[in-house]
Amino acid sequence: MSKVKCDHCHLEFSDEVMIHDGEYRFCCNGCRGIFHLLKDEGLESFYSKMGDTTLSPPTEQFEASSNFDTPAFSERFVTTTKEGLSQVSLVIEGIHCAACVWLNEKALHKMDGVIEAHINYTNNKARITWDSDTVKLSAIIDMIRAIGYNAFPYDSSLQEVRANKERKDYYLRMAVATFATMNMMWIAVAQYAGYFTGITQDIKTILNVAEWVLATPVLFYSGWIFYRGAYYGLRNQAITMDLLVVTGSSLAYLYSIYITVFEKGEAYFDSVAMIITFVLFGKFLEVLSRKNAADTLDIIGKHIPREVSILEGESIRSVDVNEVKEGDVIVIRSGERSAIDGEVISGEGSFDESNLTGESEPIFKRLGDKIISGTTSIDALIHYRATKDFAHSTLSNLVNLLENAMAQKPSIELLANRLSQHFSSTILFLAIATFWIWYFWPHSFDRSLMVGISVIIIACPCALALATPVATLVGLALGAKRGILFKSAAQIETMAKATMVVLDKTGTITMGRPEVVYATIHTPFDIGVLHTLVSSSKHPISRGVKEYLDATEAEIDSSSIEEAREIPARGMVGRYNGAMIAGGNALLMEDLGIEVDSASDKSLFYYAVEQQLVAVYELRDLPKEKALESIAALKALNLRVVMLTGDHEAAAVRVAHEVGIDEVHAHLSPEGKAAFIEQAHSEGYVVVMAGDGVNDLLALAASDIAIAMGNGSDIAIEVSDVVLMNDSLTSLAEAFGISRKTYGLIKQNLAISLVYNSITIPLAMMGYVIPLIAAISMSFSSLLVVGNSMRVRWLYK
Amino acid sequence: MDSWVIAMMLGASLFLGAIALAAFLWGIKNGQFDDEKKMMNQVQYDDERELNDAANQQRKKESVNKKEEYRPE
Repeated sequence: MSKVKCDHCHLEFSDEVMIHDGEYRFCCNGCRGIFHLLKDEGLESFYSKMGDTTLSPPTEQFEASSNFDTPAFSERFVTTTKEGLSQVSLVIEGIHCAACVWLNEKALHKMDGVIEAHINYTNNKARITWDSDTVKLSAIIDMIRAIGYNAFPYDSSLQEVRANKERKDYYLRMAVATFATMNMMWIAVAQYAGYFTGITQDIKTILNVAEWVLATPVLFYSGWIFYRGAYYGLRNQAITMDLLVVTGSSLAYLYSIYITVFEKGEAYFDSVAMIITFVLFGKFLEVLSRKNAADTLDIIGKHIPREVSILEGESIRSVDVNEVKEGDVIVIRSGERSAIDGEVISGEGSFDESNLTGESEPIFKRLGDKIISGTTSIDALIHYRATKDFAHSTLSNLVNLLENAMAQKPSIELLANRLSQHFSSTILFLAIATFWIWYFWPHSFDRSLMVGISVIIIACPCALALATPVATLVGLALGAKRGILFKSAAQIETMAKATMVVLDKTGTITMGRPEVVYATIHTPFDIGVLHTLVSSSKHPISRGVKEYLDATEAEIDSSSIEEAREIPARGMVGRYNGAMIAGGNALLMEDLGIEVDSASDKSLFYYAVEQQLVAVYELRDLPKEKALESIAALKALNLRVVMLTGDHEAAAVRVAHEVGIDEVHAHLSPEGKAAFIEQAHSEGYVVVMAGDGVNDLLALAASDIAIAMGNGSDIAIEVSDVVLMNDSLTSLAEAFGISRKTYGLIKQNLAISLVYNSITIPLAMMGYVIPLIAAISMSFSSLLVVGNSMRVRWLYK
Repeated sequence: MDSWVIAMMLGASLFLGAIALAAFLWGIKNGQFDDEKKMMNQVQYDDERELNDAANQQRKKESVNKKEEYRPE
């Protein structure tokens, strides 16, 4: 069969299933629609631009775009520029290639009233400016959807913009500093060559003036950050590293101007530029690796349904969640997530509450049962009466608690910060003392001042400023290679100091889905029929059985079952060749009048043919591979290992026993987990929490270091500080190893720079330091620190 | 040798360097380096039509700005 490419999405299908449209072939009507739209708009050159990439065919399930025009929406997401235009930030979904970016920008630019559409290819974020008198935002969204993409709003107002601006500011300052310092270095070569071989005073002055010109923007533009830091430090009555940098470089700068103008001695302009440049780079590395807490809360917002369907008389109307009042009747269909707490008034079916409770088993709801917001209907079509409004529902409460917890996240003072305070005040004191001693010894004022300044310059914390950021960056890279993503450099140090690790059960220690551990076959039967039966359900138990069959049976013939249907909270029944077949739990068997022995602490799946029990499968949630070894490794690091779970006691204790955890707390609510962590805090523990679900969110936010599993929920990943991409407990132990090694390295680096200073400072105090020695010593100590940090690659293989 | 030759050469080379630096700073400020992936791909879409489109877009932007200025308020 010959395969043909769809003319829009370029996916290949056999010719006979394609839609034929003249000379064109399409896989679906969506693709055809987009193709003709682009042709009409004169944008068909998109297809030649996209080259070999394929697109995903368009899906048609969108919320109505009209809610993009509501006042509530524009209040939250739309900003107004000073020209009176509207601006919104969107995330565009479905961008695969540079041509997609081109197409979106072009299509939007063609619309009347769209002033600017700028799409970032790297992160798929778009900024759209439009004239709200001419065109509505919903029309713009419709256009994006019409050409086969989708758009979500995101709130760009907060930290992200600020973080980007800060980064750009650093780029500018670093560009100036690097340019000036590099040029100064070759002028300095002439200076030093002249120092040793002889140089006339007028040439020396020319070189000094050139250095003066170059050093000025470095000190006052690039170094502005340090002036600001020193000022704020002084206002809080703290002597900071910034103050030391500022005093050292400003004094050296003024002294060098004096030297240049009165033509005596050596100028220190190159040291001024070098100090500022090195310390600026160190600071930039810190900024770069700082946690970008940016749109955490937006991601959470994305998980809250913005609209619900309510029943009014006979008709169903979708309304904004905030408009729902107590007593309204809400309709929830299968697959939908509830936004509001309530009580079932008609219908029945299973709900997935794993989001909130961590229980992997679906919960069956019927008349009078409570619906909790944030849970998802698996197969139920239910009408329920709202017992609370949106703001008081469980989900909103959770979000509020989370916001509070994130704002109050504990922070542990970093070693380098603590050290730098003492260091800075000591050096300033030594410099002043040196000056007075020289002055009263007696020496000329010039000479004494120069020696005093040389103490500050030589002690200037280039190596100290680089010690922490370089080491942590190496640690971050090391982790990233192993699929351990530290979101922020500071977390490495905190993690190294951790004394307690708290693990969630489901999904963290265990696989998070039931697996068949034992099968009892009473009578041989047709495996293919059972396979087809379990394939028809999405229930975790059925999936577990299906996976087991796939893994154990060599060949499975699929067979067709008639009248297959799911019975909520029971199982599935159907008919095969006239014989009645049923697979499900003990309740289903009871209903069918089959006697079964259901005494087991595991989940049991029964399979019956014609009222005759033929097979029983035992399923349970198994611990992950190498869980035992990893827990042992954690214990070997002197960590108190605790397991928390929302599950019942028996299941929790069994898993804990299997992986070697002695301390278990079962049956905890999300708030209970967080309370446990706070209790541990008050006992003086530094707590690392690893979890994966929404039910762990509060605990994650309360902990010092939150670790999320890579396949956990998006929110958990957003809230956490460390993400384990491969979900394994081995990486958890490795993350501890890396952070402790890195912390050791930080300590070494700080020690190196301190030892270095304790040798050079006495030299400077004795007046042996000329500008050349100052420059060399600064570069050399920085090189030592960077070189030492690189060693971690050999330390940790 | 007269020292003004050195001064002049030093001045001239620093001046040229400063022009390059200024151009680089302008690029950063303008967001030319914000999107590394797009920057590398942009060169593919750089024909005459693109220039015309860009010019039209600029005109559209300006016309709206003017309209705002003349608003009688």
